[in-house]
Amino acid sequence: MKTRRTTTITRRALLRQASALSIAGAATPFIMNLAAMGEAAAATASDYKALVCVFLYGGNDYANTLVPYDNNQYAIYQAQRPGLTYAQSALAATKLTPSVPLPGGAQYALAPELAPLLPLFNAGAMGVLLNVGTLVEPTTKAQYQAGSVLLPPKLLSHNDQQSYWQASSPEGAASGWGGRIADLLQSGNGTATLTCINVSGNAVFLTGRSAVQYSVTPAGPIALSTRTSLQGSTAAAALLQSLITGGGAHEFEAALGAVGTRALNLYDQVSAALAQAPATSTVFPAAADPLSTLGAQLQFVAKMISVGSQLGAKRQVFFVSTSRYDTHDGLVTLHPTLLTNLANALRAFYDTTVELGVASQVTTFTGSDFGRALTANNDGTDHGWGSMHFVLGGAVNGGRYHGINPTLANGGPDDIGQGRLIPTLSVDQYAATLASWFGVPASELATVVPNIDNYAGSALGTNIGFV
Amino acid sequence: MPTEQHEVLAPAPVERETAASLAPLSLAALAVAGCSSGSGGGSSGGSTGGGGAPPPSPAEVQASRFLSQAAIGYSHADITSVATSGIDAWLTAQFAMVRPQRFWDFLVTNGYADPANINTQNGFDAMVWSQLMGSSDVLRQRVGLALLDQWVVGIDGITGSWKPFTMAAYLDVLWDNAFGNYRDLMEGVSTSVAMGLFLTFLGNVKANPVTGSIPDENYARELMQLFTIGLYELNTDGSQILSGGAPIPTYAQADVSQGARVWTGYTYASTDNTTPDRLRLPMVINAARHETGATTFLNINIPAGTTGENARKIALDGLFNHPNVPPFVSKQLIQHLVTSNPSPAYVSRVAAAFADNGRAVRGDMQAVIHAVLTDVEARDDSQVASTQFGKLREPVTRLVQWGRAFKVTSPTNLWPFGNTTSTASRIGESPGRAPSVFNWFRPGYVPPGTAIESNGHVAPEFQITNEPSLIAYVNYLHTLIVNGAGEAQPDYSALTALAADSQSLLDELNLVLAANQVSAATVARMKTALDSIAADTAAGLNNRIRAALVLVMAAPEYLVLR
Repeated sequence: MKTRRTTTITRRALLRQASALSIAGAATPFIMNLAAMGEAAAATASDYKALVCVFLYGGNDYANTLVPYDNNQYAIYQAQRPGLTYAQSALAATKLTPSVPLPGGAQYALAPELAPLLPLFNAGAMGVLLNVGTLVEPTTKAQYQAGSVLLPPKLLSHNDQQSYWQASSPEGAASGWGGRIADLLQSGNGTATLTCINVSGNAVFLTGRSAVQYSVTPAGPIALSTRTSLQGSTAAAALLQSLITGGGAHEFEAALGAVGTRALNLYDQVSAALAQAPATSTVFPAAADPLSTLGAQLQFVAKMISVGSQLGAKRQVFFVSTSRYDTHDGLVTLHPTLLTNLANALRAFYDTTVELGVASQVTTFTGSDFGRALTANNDGTDHGWGSMHFVLGGAVNGGRYHGINPTLANGGPDDIGQGRLIPTLSVDQYAATLASWFGVPASELATVVPNIDNYAGSALGTNIGFV
Repeated sequence: MPTEQHEVLAPAPVERETAASLAPLSLAALAVAGCSSGSGGGSSGGSTGGGGAPPPSPAEVQASRFLSQAAIGYSHADITSVATSGIDAWLTAQFAMVRPQRFWDFLVTNGYADPANINTQNGFDAMVWSQLMGSSDVLRQRVGLALLDQWVVGIDGITGSWKPFTMAAYLDVLWDNAFGNYRDLMEGVSTSVAMGLFLTFLGNVKANPVTGSIPDENYARELMQLFTIGLYELNTDGSQILSGGAPIPTYAQADVSQGARVWTGYTYASTDNTTPDRLRLPMVINAARHETGATTFLNINIPAGTTGENARKIALDGLFNHPNVPPFVSKQLIQHLVTSNPSPAYVSRVAAAFADNGRAVRGDMQAVIHAVLTDVEARDDSQVASTQFGKLREPVTRLVQWGRAFKVTSPTNLWPFGNTTSTASRIGESPGRAPSVFNWFRPGYVPPGTAIESNGHVAPEFQITNEPSLIAYVNYLHTLIVNGAGEAQPDYSALTALAADSQSLLDELNLVLAANQVSAATVARMKTALDSIAADTAAGLNNRIRAALVLVMAAPEYLVLR
């Protein structure tokens, strides 16, 4: 399933050339060099690839998602959150049988609501990442307690950890790693502004140093209803468009103009391409969570992927999301519904990529603000740190776990109390692995995730190898 | 920390002192200049070439600019009133105005307490729009909306029956206290069923040593992070205090865990769910479920054995007196009303009014609002030429402004604007429907990849600005302008008399909607476009009016309020 990285080799050669060039012509902006390289690289790439980030806003509860199953871990789980647990017997049907067992006989089951994903795991198309979270550098509990390592600022704060997860910086971040990946590759696309596509509003994840996100609804881009005539006047309609795209001298007006320009300029191209989308038969189940449009978002992503060639796209990064994961209460009432919704959407999306013949070209991965505490607060759980995540796709080294299984405990070696896990796998490593698969050469990873070099020589290194 | 008890003030005299000390020149000038004007909305249309109607007076322009910051919406008559009598008189009158109707009473009066509605959201959106678009206390509406943007509760994030009533009671807490004392607001919210449900401390139980269960930390955390002190220690001008170049966290996780103990034991005041009444009763504390062990967070100490009610008082007094509260709250209010990036000096002046209204009272919202709106930075008309000052108008205020400017009413109180959340066909936000306590947009949001970002600025409302929402806004606006919304219909009769002269029409709209901030060059382009629509029939005049409204309200020079 692995794609040979001929693209990368070509890019490395180009990188050397570009370095020489940029020394000669010192004024050439770094990013422009990268963009030129990206264009050349993608031009030689015969493949198409997409990364799809599925963000679970609110901080997903890891222990009721990837549920401890072996007797030892289950007993801890049961002791820490009585009344919030799945019965061990109810987990037998979704017990994971990984190709590489975990040390010490540790076993997990998917929450029963995630059963639609079990066949993907068993087929090697889904991997499970253990204890992923935001870090600056590898961090042990002793180092955490001693304050001897740099930590992400504002841990356990929703908005800031969402941002740090997506951008390696708290709220107010200037760019995210999805966008920074796109910086390197977008110019190889027929339309660079169709590289970073957000189907759920705005996210810093999709903005790079030069790349910008293009936002669409699950039903596609929105047409300006008064495009050809405003109250009978073509002149007024033309002026309206000019105003929408025109911006102004004020920094806010300029920003509005940039959004308006993308909206109007890309509408025809995107909608015309979407009209060519092949029919697919995979059914996306109705949303189990009535407030979530995750299924519709992913269905639209699949549709965009299916017209990638019409758009001249070689590399695209998508962002979709669903919320309500902040389960301070309702863990046993709401969370299962959220998981059903998630599993149905992920499964239908994967099946659609199979149907489209692009399963090995699309890698889907989950993210969330943080994990939650293992210890209950009576009817829910509170903010944590490390969490479990899923990667899906035909290129995924699936059917197994990746990362280091943490000690589940309240006040154990891997948590800061109440089972709030100290990540043993950083989002930076997660991002770098995905970026490498996408075609970012090792020499450029630090432009995507600035702290990645902190993990060179760590237990898992800078490429986790899950894809 | 000593807990200074605030007092509740009579409304009027405090803010006069503050105003006089802060911005005497601009206020005086405005009041004087206003005496000569007030006719800009008259029926002097009909001439051509822009020479027909007199240009608006400086006082009218200033009044419109002030109202666009202070009011949820306004009409030409309001401009005339402010231009004539001045800002101070207007603020005094608004502060003194008794609420014409409370949210709760709207629901009851219009029959939504019927048992058939126990598990519906019927009446909720109508109730919200009735206040925002229909209630005459336009300053309270604007400040209330700003408070809701900070003290967020969204109807889809609460559980239980009679949700519109739960929300009504909550909104009434915000709106009732908008001109009161911030400490009372803290108390009202902290005992409201809506917040108890939204941030999950209704039903919160003290630690259980047998099961290992710990108190729910949700409210304890967000009360500090979002509602009172924020994440880092602040100077009075809103900037971070640095230690060795690094900001200083206001609290650690241990403070959250300890603070959570305060918010245990909370529950409904009544078990009777057959009517909505219990939803407006303050929550009560079940002593058996409340943590009575000694609790310490920040520098706030709650001795062992303290009752839940007293623990709340100690906790809220302690937070209220934290030095971060004045700049933290003041800056956000400035951002909601005036400018996304106020100068530190501006924040400092408002924070000073928060800390002490001049009569040794902390948290006097009238003093704070007055300080925000009358500050020299807010009233400096040269800011109109700035390329950085100001804010993106929040979408809901654009919608309401249209309705207010053209006297939209709803004869049977349907206010049929509904849920306006859709980014595909509405405005991308809907009051009282925020998806989480982090609201539709954050005060610290930076649109990445823009000059705003490279200039080191924030632009909160840009968090809900993107390709679909921008186009959907224009589409929805066009629909409203042309068709109204059901029984909620605009009255353009004052414009009809102007429409034969495009310049007069545009001058009027520019004044009433945009405080004359649409440039002459842009107006000239609009005039050319509008002149392509023949004005020799009633239909043509109507088309001109509607096209002009769309053009003005879609123009970046309108959307960015300076």
